[in-house]
Order: sequence, then structure tokens, then C-alpha cells
Amino acid sequence: MTNDNVLVIGGGVAGIASASKLADNGFQVYLVEREPIIGGHAASFGCKATETCSQCSVCLVSEKMREVTAKPQISLVVNSEVVRISGSIGDFEVDLLQKPGVVDPEKCIACGICTEVCPCEPKKGIFLPSPEAIPHTYILDRTQCLRFKGAECNVCQDNCPVGAINFEQKPNSKILKVSAVIVATGFEAFDAREKGLLGYGMYSNVLTGLDLERIINGQEWITLPSNGNSPRNIAFIQCVGSRDEYIGHGYCSQVCCKYAMKFAKLLQYQDSEAKVTIFYIDLQTTGKGFGEFYEACKKTIRFIRGIPVEIREISPDELEVKYEDLAKGKIAKENYDLVVLSIGIAPRKDSWDLAKILGINLGNYRFFDTQDTLDSNRTNIDGIFLAGTCHGPKDIPESVAHGIQAASKVIQTLKARTA
Amino acid sequence: MDSELRLGVFLCDCGNTLSKAIDFSTIKTDLENLPDVTYVNISHDLCLETAQKAMQKDIEDKGVNRVVVAACSPELYEKGLISVIQAAGVNPHLLSIANIREQCFWAHPDKTKAAKKATTQIKLALNRARFLEPVEKTRIPVNRDVLVIGGGIVGIEAALELSNLNLKTTLIEKEAILGGKLNQFPNLYPLQVNPEEMLAARLKDITERQNIDVLTSAELIDVNGEVGNFSARIKESNEEVVRNFGAIIFASGYNTQFSSQIYGFELSNNIITQSKLEEILKFSSEVKEIPKSVCFIVDVSGEHSRVSTLSALRNALGIKEKFGSEVCILCRNLKIDGAGLEKLYRDCRNNGVLFIKFDHLPEISKQNGKIKIEVEDVLVSEEQVSISYDLLVVEETSVPPPDSRFLSSALNIGLDTQGFYQENNIHLYPTASNREGIFFAGNCHADLDLMRALTEASNVALNAYQLLAQEKITVEAERVIVDPNKCRFCLTCIRACPHHAIREVEVDHEKMAAQIVDLACQGCGICAVVCPAKAIKCKDGSDEQILSELEPFGEHV
Repeated sequence: MTNDNVLVIGGGVAGIASASKLADNGFQVYLVEREPIIGGHAASFGCKATETCSQCSVCLVSEKMREVTAKPQISLVVNSEVVRISGSIGDFEVDLLQKPGVVDPEKCIACGICTEVCPCEPKKGIFLPSPEAIPHTYILDRTQCLRFKGAECNVCQDNCPVGAINFEQKPNSKILKVSAVIVATGFEAFDAREKGLLGYGMYSNVLTGLDLERIINGQEWITLPSNGNSPRNIAFIQCVGSRDEYIGHGYCSQVCCKYAMKFAKLLQYQDSEAKVTIFYIDLQTTGKGFGEFYEACKKTIRFIRGIPVEIREISPDELEVKYEDLAKGKIAKENYDLVVLSIGIAPRKDSWDLAKILGINLGNYRFFDTQDTLDSNRTNIDGIFLAGTCHGPKDIPESVAHGIQAASKVIQTLKARTA
Repeated sequence: MDSELRLGVFLCDCGNTLSKAIDFSTIKTDLENLPDVTYVNISHDLCLETAQKAMQKDIEDKGVNRVVVAACSPELYEKGLISVIQAAGVNPHLLSIANIREQCFWAHPDKTKAAKKATTQIKLALNRARFLEPVEKTRIPVNRDVLVIGGGIVGIEAALELSNLNLKTTLIEKEAILGGKLNQFPNLYPLQVNPEEMLAARLKDITERQNIDVLTSAELIDVNGEVGNFSARIKESNEEVVRNFGAIIFASGYNTQFSSQIYGFELSNNIITQSKLEEILKFSSEVKEIPKSVCFIVDVSGEHSRVSTLSALRNALGIKEKFGSEVCILCRNLKIDGAGLEKLYRDCRNNGVLFIKFDHLPEISKQNGKIKIEVEDVLVSEEQVSISYDLLVVEETSVPPPDSRFLSSALNIGLDTQGFYQENNIHLYPTASNREGIFFAGNCHADLDLMRALTEASNVALNAYQLLAQEKITVEAERVIVDPNKCRFCLTCIRACPHHAIREVEVDHEKMAAQIVDLACQGCGICAVVCPAKAIKCKDGSDEQILSELEPFGEHV
């Protein structure tokens, strides 16, 4: 149908959506991911269903990931980064640098023997990162593995039935020739440590929304890190790292109100006695069907206007939250056993590096910028397009839609050139 | 069906890990002694390419015509295995998989019981394989034209993108001119784009395209047929035309409505709607009396509308810039979850727009020709604030276009509780309807801002293109079939089918029967379940297959 190859940088949901649509329309796609597996942030999220579906769209992620393996037109290149690009639309030449992975995804059959025999305790040095991991391969964690701590351990290599483990691999470089590039490098969760007074990283029972996602992704109950009990009195603090010009984040992250309310409902589902308070500036309750969900939340969740300024640990299991009680016009203090910081979407810290390599512009708040306000995909470089949260905050379905939009723009642009 | 069954069984012990708990060689011998089993193979890594190549060769060499695989989860490798058996010349529907890893050995700590379950699963898959039926693919010629309903910005953008993709498009608009709400908006904040210029550029583009046909003052009346071959009746002015299309895109937008019951008062010269204000701003040179102070109120009828907050912010800044009036916005929660909206809110504040947030509805009354508002400002104190404005601008609720109810029943497409179009799957297919080939974009199905709506326009254009890119659509033929001799034509299936995939046909001298339309059928099997005469058979889950699968359990009961 077409001889055009397209490079998609980033294997999160947006990149996958772009790659999958391009493949459907007869393009050869290189999907380049820097991590050993695809799925990005969204793959580390967990389903927030209670007795009913809460429409968090996390199930969509594994569905999309499977599309990658099902489509032979997509060549998946993991552990790799773009280091150089030259040429122009229709004729880009891209240099990739592939970091040495210890487990060869082409050989690994995901039998699990390596994890069984790995002597690292309690956290294993080699494991399957997720039951739905794609490529479906075990990965080695260099921070855990004894061999990278100087020990002479070869246990996994010796026991692997298919010889997929090799510690001697060297970095690899690769040159791709492509007609167009889609940048879908995603976001970085706001580092809550920047808000020092909120105590994240200091107090064990202060968690972020992302921490909760990872807990429920492992299909575990949410428990208090300090004592393992089920949390009974929980506060959510919204807009941590969003709507804040002072830290350069003068935008709404668009996902936090929704995930906080869904988590709140989930916490009350796991323990019907749990009390939840959400501190907020403005609740973002738009979106199809979310209005009804919010109405249901109002019955069981306490909503307080205003963002707390300080959290103190008064005992290992108790946190004191200091906030402004607007009704009384005074500073108030309240105790909680768990505080969840609803951290927002931030641009990747290394986006400047990629912007330099590709020659594309950074815009407001250091997300990648487009050339025309009305076209959310086209960058200043002809043939390079944006998809997903690297362009600005988006939720999962919106990232997918934006990925498909980028694919559509690539197809239209390349068609116009050949016509 | 083939005259002779030749079953090939491929067992995988997952790198010898499963063979610790179960003796594969015994199973192999047992299976080999069963009737019709032609070949049994044990592999260690069926997920890898080398083993799959060997599997393909085995199927070819031994003349296997039904394939049974006992390995890990089909979620992971079914698609790969299907391509293997297809390459070996076996129909993809003739594959039966037993998941002995995740569902047996990984799920049960007791390895003896797990082994027993695995043996049962393998037998079950083998039994099912005996009753599998091939489904052949067929290519059906399609009409490649697309109908876009609604000449607002979403419809225009979709038509332009379809045209870029070389598809011929008919764009119908019920008003006399294109542009929809873009004709009404005085500005497009937070975007620094002039709505007139934006529209003019696109209209010029449309007139230059050979493959876009615009019908104004035109309405869709009815649609017959199915994906690839729709025939649409369109009323243009007073004439009725019938045109054929391969796909239909609804971009019919939304209407706004003021509801006096919610407010308890009617509109008057100093209580106006957002649309009325937009008219004033748009034709500001004609305005005789400039309101010195203007108050907007939102979140009264409902709290969840992105559109109404956005128009308040946009018009507040518009008024500030044009007239320099004193402006206040009353709201519960400001909806700023869109690109640039937080900045728009800040721009409003920097220009002197006052924001008051309330939890309880403000009391509104008229006093000396002014609007008096008593409101409890939740951010300041518990006390009531009393303010007075020249003009009150009330929000309007978004409502579906008036014809959507009629069209949904005429076309058999779903509506949500508000009467907007209902997506097939809000996560996976947010722009698809329950009918193949009919799509939704923009505010006719969801509450979207301009950039989100444009994203949807791109999405539907590509989806329609993907469907119609070739002259013919490849579909699986007769995946579900009706036996006309058994069919009593009770219409149960026609009513039950969510995809409008069953039609009435005359089979024999006035005898009518149901017939499945392969193009529209999605193989869900609902019709086969509801048919009281058992006249419908779903080849991927026939009664014989299911009963045969239950057979191995007989030993345990």
C-alpha cells in the first residue's frame, strides 16, 4: 500500500495508538521505547472499579498494548533512545542507541525460573515487570542484582532453559530511515518533594496518587505504610504541582480530580468505615458520565475548599494537616492517618534534550509546542508530529485520541507529498 | 466440512517448568490413542519463532486440519498462533486453545489437582476442536463516499481531512450557511484565533476541493442499508434526494437552552443568555447602550458543563476588552480542565474580572432597573454579600439537537440518558456508534472544547478512511447463519441485535426469514441465544461445541 516508514518515539498509550493506527493503514512503524517494556505510565496504573466500573480507562491500556504484538507492521525497539536525526520529511535518518538489556526478549519464554532461583531477597533482581508486560519478557533490575553489586552470581543465567540471559551484551546502535516522526514521550509525574512542607518522602503515610496507582496495580489493598492497617481517615490534597505559577506549572493537569474521587470511592469500598476528605481549589467534574459519579461522591466524601499548606507527623500513625477554614476564616488543624497528594502531570525534565536533537520548539511550561494553535500535532519541523501528554496534560482516552490524530496527520501529510 | 478429521495437538511445557508437575509423555501417549488424533507434539517454547516454524511444518507434513494447543494464556499468544496455522493452510477458526499455565499450574498450589485440571482442559479443547467450523473471508465491494452530518467546525474539519485522504465527502448542514457555532462566537479564547478568519479560511478551502460536496438547508431523513452501502434520504430545501455512502459521520453538535424553571425568572432586557451576549459582542458597533457592569452566573442548572464555564470566561474577557465594563463571574467550581484555560482564568483576573464562588444558589432580584444579587462568598466569609449589576448573563444548558431522537430511532443508534448520541464503548471506541460505519464526532455525543472536538474530527476521518481505504471490505462470511427452514420470522433477533445486522429476506414464495448481514455483524452471538426456534448458529460458539466441552466434566460429576 505504501513504502513509508514512520518512527514513533515513546511506547506509552499515545505512541501505541499512533503506531497501531499507522500499521492498520499499511505503514511500517518503528516503535521506540527507552524502557524494557511498553505501556508507559498508564501501564503502572490499576483498575479503580468498586462494585461498578468507575471508568478510569486503565483497562484500555493492556488492550492497546496487545495491538502492538498483534500487528507485524510494528517493529518494537525497546531499551532504546534517539540520539541523532538528520534529513527532512520523507527522508529522515535516525540514530538509535540501544542500552544493553540482560534478558533477550526474542528468546525469553517467560517461564519464571530465573525469578525462582534468584538469590536476591526480599525483592528479586530479575522478574516479570507486569503480568501483561510487552514484550512478554523478564527484566533484570541492576539496582537489585548481586552481579551488579560486584558478586560472582550466575544463577539465573545457568538455569535459563533457553539461554536468554547474557550479562556480556554491549550497547548497540541502529540507523533507521523514516518518512515521518511522531514524538510521544509522555510526561513526568510532579515530584511532590518540591513541596517540602507537605512532607512527601519524609513521612511514611504521605503518599502520592501515583503511589496508590502502583499499589492497586499489584492488585493489593491500600494499607498504611507505617503499620499495614487499612486507612480509616484519609485526606486527598488536590493541585499538588498544578495550577501553580510559582513553580512554573500554571495549568490544570486535568486528571487529578477524577483519579482522586475514584480512589476515594475505592478506599470506601475496601473499608466502608473509611472517612475521606478532599481538599481542592475547583473540582473538575466534566466529562461524559462523570457528573453522576461526582453526585454519588458528594454523599460519602467531605469536600473542603482550599489547599493545606503544611503537614506534620505527630506520631508514626498520625498526620496533622494545617489548612485555612474558609467558613470560619481561621487556620484549622485536623488529623488523618493517610494523606494522598494528587500530583499532576509535568513535562519531562529531559524534554529539552530531545527538543535539541529533533530541532522542535518547547512551548508554555516546557511541553513540546506546535506550529499552529489550531493544529495540536504539527511541530515547527515539517514531518515531526506530537502525540499525547508530551504536548500537554491529557487523560488516557484523550492521549489515545491524540495519538490517532497524529497518525491521521502523518497519513494526510505523506499522501499530499506523493500525490 | 472436510471429510476426515485430522487433529493435531501441540503441548508446550514452558521451558520444562510445567513438566515437573505433569508427565507430558503420558498425556502424549493418551492423546495419541484417541480417535482422529493424527499428531501430538511436545514443545518447550511454543511462543518463540523457531518452535512456531516447526509447528507450521508439522501441520503441513502431517496434513493436520484442526489444531489444538495446550500452553499459556491465549491472551498472550493466540494471535501469533493464528498466523502460524494460517500460514500452514488451516482456517484460523479451526484453532482450539487450552490454557494450562495461567489457569492450571500457576493458579493452583496443589500440583496434582492442577495436573488433573490441565488434563481435563486439554480434553475439553480437543472435544471442541472436533466441532469447529471454518469461516471464510470474503471481500464485499463498498461505496467509498462519506456523509458528514453537520456543517459546524467539526463537520468542516472532518470533511477536509477526509478530502486529504482522497475520500469523496458530502457535507450536509441544516442551516443556510456553514460554520455552526463559529458564526456566533465573538472570540475563541483561550486560543488567539479569530473565529471569522478561521472559518473563512476553511470555507475557502472547501470550495477549492473537488471531492467535497456541500448541501445547505439540508436534513437527513432516513438511512437504509449497512456499512459500505448506506443509502441516505436527504431533504435539500424542498427536494428529496437519495445518495449512497460507505460511512456516515454525525457531527451535528449541540443546541443551547435557557430553562426558566431552574432560575425562577424569565429573560428580560437586563437578564440575557450567553448566546444573546455573544450576539451583542459580535456586533458591538451597533450597540447603543453599553452595560457598565455585567455579572455572569454558571453552575446553576448542573455543575458539570465544560461548555458553559468556557463561554462565561471567554465572554467575560471579551466584554472587558470591548466595553471595559465591570465584570463578575459567579460559579461553584471553575472548570478549567482544558488546554490554556487556567491561563484564560488568570487573564480574566488580571483584567479585573471578579470571581465569586458559591455553595448555595444566590438570590437574584430586580431593584431600580438593576439586578441585585445576594450571595454567600465561600472564599471570604460566611456573610452574605449584596451586589448589584446592570446586566445578568445566565448560562444555558447544552441539549441534543432536536432531530437526534428521531434519527436515533430511524437509524437504530443509541442515545445516552441526556439524549446525546451514545458511543459504542466509551473507552475503546469513543467515536464509534453501535452500528458499524456510523461515527460520532464533537459535541453531539460529549461535552468538549474546541481542541478536543478537532481531535475527534481527525479520529473519525481516519476511522472512516481505514474502513473505506480499499474498494472492497474484507469480512468474515457467514460467521453467524440463519437456517431459513427453522426460522419462524418472529423478529426476535432483529429486535435483539445491537448492531442492526439482521434484515428480512424473502426466501421462498412469500416465506420470509431473517438474514445476517455479514458487513454489519460483529459476531456477538446474541441472536443465536435469543432465537426461540434455534434457527441461528454462531460458528464460533455453536451448541455442539459448548456441549462437547462440557463432556469431560461428566467424569467428575
